[in-house]
Amino acid sequence: MYTSFIKSSILLLLFSTMVMAQEDKKTVKDTLIYKQKYGLRLGADISKLARTFFDDNYTGFEVMGDYRLTKRIYLAGEIGNEEYTLENEVLSNTTKGSYFKGGIDLNFYKNWLDMENMIYVGFRGGASTFSQTLNSYEIYNVYNQYWNQQFTVEEGTEYSGLTAIWAEIIIGIKAELFNNFYAGINAQLKGLITETAPNDYENLYIPGFNRTYDSGRFGVGFGFNLSYLVPIFKKDKVVVQEKEEE
Amino acid sequence: MKKLKFILLLLLVVLISCERDDICAESTPTTPRLFVEFYDADEQDELKSVTRLTVYGDSPDIPIPDDTDNSSAVLLEDIFDTQQRRVYNRNSNFVKLPLLIGNTNDGETTTSRFILEKDTNLRLNDNPNNDSNIDIIEIEYTTEFKYVSRACGYKSVFNLIDVEVNPDGDDDDLWIESEEIIEILVENENTVHVHIFH
Repeated sequence: MYTSFIKSSILLLLFSTMVMAQEDKKTVKDTLIYKQKYGLRLGADISKLARTFFDDNYTGFEVMGDYRLTKRIYLAGEIGNEEYTLENEVLSNTTKGSYFKGGIDLNFYKNWLDMENMIYVGFRGGASTFSQTLNSYEIYNVYNQYWNQQFTVEEGTEYSGLTAIWAEIIIGIKAELFNNFYAGINAQLKGLITETAPNDYENLYIPGFNRTYDSGRFGVGFGFNLSYLVPIFKKDKVVVQEKEEE
Repeated sequence: MKKLKFILLLLLVVLISCERDDICAESTPTTPRLFVEFYDADEQDELKSVTRLTVYGDSPDIPIPDDTDNSSAVLLEDIFDTQQRRVYNRNSNFVKLPLLIGNTNDGETTTSRFILEKDTNLRLNDNPNNDSNIDIIEIEYTTEFKYVSRACGYKSVFNLIDVEVNPDGDDDDLWIESEEIIEILVENENTVHVHIFH
């Protein structure tokens, strides 16, 4: 009982002296200036290259770029080309096409000192033109074992001139690994706005949008990119700190 | 930072709520069967069960169903019926016939033939003096393939051209009196396509 009383009174004393000490000292404003690089950052999506290498049904690449407008806002965009063959028990379908995405990235990360990393939220509008080739399909008939009939159609109908437009929210990070060289990962949530699909068929995959879902107009994606910043000019980042006067 | 958390949450919710659509669900209507109902020839509005009916495909590959193996008779309910009941030696006022799928591209007609056997019990008993009554029906139609979904692929629908009883004309003991196409387009199994009067 006594020991706890003594302890708390000591603590109280300690704090009171600290408060006193702070009151005694005056603060002044100290201004620090960091040079910030502004410029065009160009890169490529490594995950798509890796998938091209490992997945026989996929070839694709994506080039990305952003341009820093203000302290927090970047103009950003991606351009790419993909070919993907969907193969399951009942269908084989090849989608080929190109896409473009443009928008902005907002950096939410408060960098220390002269660091220039990003934790960002991006908004994009995306557009794609592509074609689909229905390589083969099966007639789904649960009663076909009665006649011992398995009906597969090898066709190869090409549906060309297909388009799609979507909106996208991206969250991701970009970190400077070494001088002007960045690595980033991001996740994308897409909402299909409009598409032209074949009359008696549907778009199973849209380049840039990735696979479509029967249940709705949403799509998802992710990216892993490496990029290089081409510095064009430098701007001062002014940091005002309160400093104690001696 | 608060906004960022909100967007993260939104992304997570959307990802979780996505249902799996790579498996063709049982409830998805795919290739339908021909839905036939049996009516009374005298009271043409009245359904009338056929006594001891057995239905099976008319093909050399399809064995005649008997008590040891009746798996060549057509199914009474759909394929997901756990009891796998068949139209074999059974009083029934309807039957659903699985049609052969023809080649759609050349617009050619396809025919499927079925044997409708009445009073099957008379064949199965040992008495040589009585026998069942076998009638053959031939269904002529064109097929059309329609896209269903990525998981189910395509289905076939049928456009009925003709339903004929006794197509070979060699049966002089018919239990079927007449037949009528009610619905030409066989798109699903919710509507009756053919009435048979007896």
